[in-house]
Amino acid sequence: MPPRHARAPGRRAARGALLAVALGLALGGLALGALSLAGRAGLGGGAPVAHAQQVDSEQQLAIERQLLCPQCVNERLDQCELPICEDMRTIIRQQLAKGTPPDQIVFFFRARYGERVLADLPREGFNLLLFGWVAGSVLLMGVGGGWALWRMRRSSLSRAAGRGR
Amino acid sequence: MNLAGALGASALLTALASAIFAVVASTWGVRRAHPGALAAGRRAIYATAALLTAAIATLAVALLRDDFGLAYVASVSSREMQTAFKWAALYSGQPGSLLLWTWLMSLAVAGVVWHAGARLRWARGHAQAVGSGALAAFLVPLVFLASPFEVSALTPADGVGLNPLLVDRAMLIHPPMLLAGLASTVAPFIIAAAALLAGRVDASWVRAARPWALASFVVLSAGNVLGGWWAYTVLGWGGYWAWDPVENSAILPLLPMIALLHGFAVQERRGMLKLWNLAMAFAAFSLAVFGTFNVRSGLVSSVHSFAQSDIGPYFLGLLGAALLGSVALLAWRSSRLSSDHDFESLLSRETGLIVNNYLLTAIALVILGGTLFPVASELVRDVRITVSAPFYDQAVGPLLAALLLVAAIGMLLPWRRGAPRTLARRFAWPAALLVLSAVGLAAAGVRDPFALAGVVFAVTLIAVTLREYWHGARGAHRAAGGGAFAWPGAVGALFRRDPGRYGGYLVHLGLAVMAIAVIGSTVYQQQVRATVAPGESFEAGRYTLTYVSLDGRAGTANGVETEAVATVTVREGDRLLGELQPGRRFFTNFPGQPMGIVALRSSWREDLYLFVQGWDEDLVAEFQVFVNPLMIWLWAGAGVYVAGGLLAFGWQRPAPARERVTPPAPGAAQRA
Repeated sequence: MPPRHARAPGRRAARGALLAVALGLALGGLALGALSLAGRAGLGGGAPVAHAQQVDSEQQLAIERQLLCPQCVNERLDQCELPICEDMRTIIRQQLAKGTPPDQIVFFFRARYGERVLADLPREGFNLLLFGWVAGSVLLMGVGGGWALWRMRRSSLSRAAGRGR
Repeated sequence: MNLAGALGASALLTALASAIFAVVASTWGVRRAHPGALAAGRRAIYATAALLTAAIATLAVALLRDDFGLAYVASVSSREMQTAFKWAALYSGQPGSLLLWTWLMSLAVAGVVWHAGARLRWARGHAQAVGSGALAAFLVPLVFLASPFEVSALTPADGVGLNPLLVDRAMLIHPPMLLAGLASTVAPFIIAAAALLAGRVDASWVRAARPWALASFVVLSAGNVLGGWWAYTVLGWGGYWAWDPVENSAILPLLPMIALLHGFAVQERRGMLKLWNLAMAFAAFSLAVFGTFNVRSGLVSSVHSFAQSDIGPYFLGLLGAALLGSVALLAWRSSRLSSDHDFESLLSRETGLIVNNYLLTAIALVILGGTLFPVASELVRDVRITVSAPFYDQAVGPLLAALLLVAAIGMLLPWRRGAPRTLARRFAWPAALLVLSAVGLAAAGVRDPFALAGVVFAVTLIAVTLREYWHGARGAHRAAGGGAFAWPGAVGALFRRDPGRYGGYLVHLGLAVMAIAVIGSTVYQQQVRATVAPGESFEAGRYTLTYVSLDGRAGTANGVETEAVATVTVREGDRLLGELQPGRRFFTNFPGQPMGIVALRSSWREDLYLFVQGWDEDLVAEFQVFVNPLMIWLWAGAGVYVAGGLLAFGWQRPAPARERVTPPAPGAAQRA
């Protein structure tokens, strides 16, 4: 039988771990419940009702969210109230009714107004510099930071070895 | 002669002269070890703050008295505006907001000089010189380029009034809070620069700078949250953070400030990160200056407006000077910036905090790149592009999720080194929880990898934080004799014993709750747009909305001419939940700039967010509806976050053992 002073911390640790797991599971359950409620609520979203004059389709809104107002700064098409944006929304409605694929509709607006109407920056040409900047920043901090940590540790080891000698 | 104009302009000009005198006297006092010159420099800084207080009071009185002889007052205020909104008019234009910025900065500089008297005696003169230099640099554009006391050639009968975007109660608190946060970044900057100039970079500057860095962190965080709340409740686009260049400018200085607070803990405990912490203090202030330049130059919205701006090039020069000066100071003192103690193990809390700093820096670099890239595109190839939310969601989202995980891991790691067996025991249950949560969420249908990772890491951080409180409070609970009623006292004792640590954990807790809410409200947001005539209905999520009527009502005040308000009833199944009244507000002096009135129904589960986009002559109206899950938790988490920051102020840690004091550089230290 192990001595009493060796068992007590083990029991405490086990009790602590159990409590912590139970707490964590409760928290996870709460988050899960909240998100699943959110997800369930989404099932009924946007369903057209017979007695509304018009309810825009999810597809229409999804295309609008990919586009920006050509005149404002950083304003999504679905939220802008300028007449030019109202016209763009009407064109999207008409094109969807004709069966034009969403990609072609987005391409049409890009050709007409330029890259500035795209909410999602195209990963091509000059824009690749920005994505390179992101990768470079993460690499600098990841690889460079890792190297700095390793160097700090190595110089500490050398100092400790020097003191030992 | 306009009295307010003469008084205000004189106060600003005298403040500039006083700040320049403070620079000269303080530098002279340090070089010649002359106590009289140092005292004169100190008094000149207090005088500068007093003169700026007089200037801002003069402008406030001019606004309250409708003194339209001042061009600034005529451009932002009008006779019928309510008193509270005349206060908002004080900082609604460029000259006024620059005056508020500089006034708040003068209070911070005076506060540092006064506070540093006890804690930073060896570098007080240097702090005076740097602080008054910063003040003089901000006073130059106020006096010569953008004075709020410019007198109109003709005095108009009435003013134009406040910009419709600003006619909201949130404007009374959000901009001053944000400007105070930005201006307060000067305090750690001054102390760091003074420590370097004096050649003493041990933990003493950390102890002097920590309360200021913490104050700046709390105020900047609160300012950003209030900005999000204003955007959500006023702007009417269903969200709270658009990654707009101006928003980016406000959040950028916060990131190095958070890194600095974590770095302080490492430097104070282990004598490490000396160079890094100084660099973070410089980065926070430089990014605040960058924000000022970015917002005031018009650089980001259009590269051409930069050329037309008087104030933009000046702040660009100031930013360059701050950066060059910082790098030169760090290079000059680099030989004194080595660690005091050995870095004993990679499996230590030091590593967690250092990785946290690297992540925050990577996030800042990504946001800075995204903010400036449209300028580069326009300059290099003359093509206008927009870097908007999808880019930031993809580039910054994963880094923020990783930050939550690193925060949880860091809290589990011990200082210096951890025995492998102890670490295995500490990490076993959080790892199990992480896997279980991931499996549970995936089984429940959460498929988005960003949402899954973010929620799992946030849940792990919450659990690890609560475990820290439980472990800490257990002893105090036993000492108090146990029992359920002893727990609140035991938790309170933790904050009394080590408020910095447990306040910081509360910030983590708030951050994790906010992260879950952000994921819920962005990934699971639903949007519906419906065109309906009075009496018709449509569905949004689980709600049925019926458009009842559209009524007009006369404007109240603050330039509002009329308001059109729609009445919409909200049902869930057969149950009537209530009425919402979204609408639009039209302004007399801004006919082309109507503002939406957002109608909101909040519950613990989600927000129903409704606004009117327009209507025709038959009153057929177009409604935009958003169902934003978990929104209330975003504000609740932000409250916990700010409360944690406030509670951390009481940090009274005893001086660490084995602190090595670096001797001052010969001839450079203040001998007075």
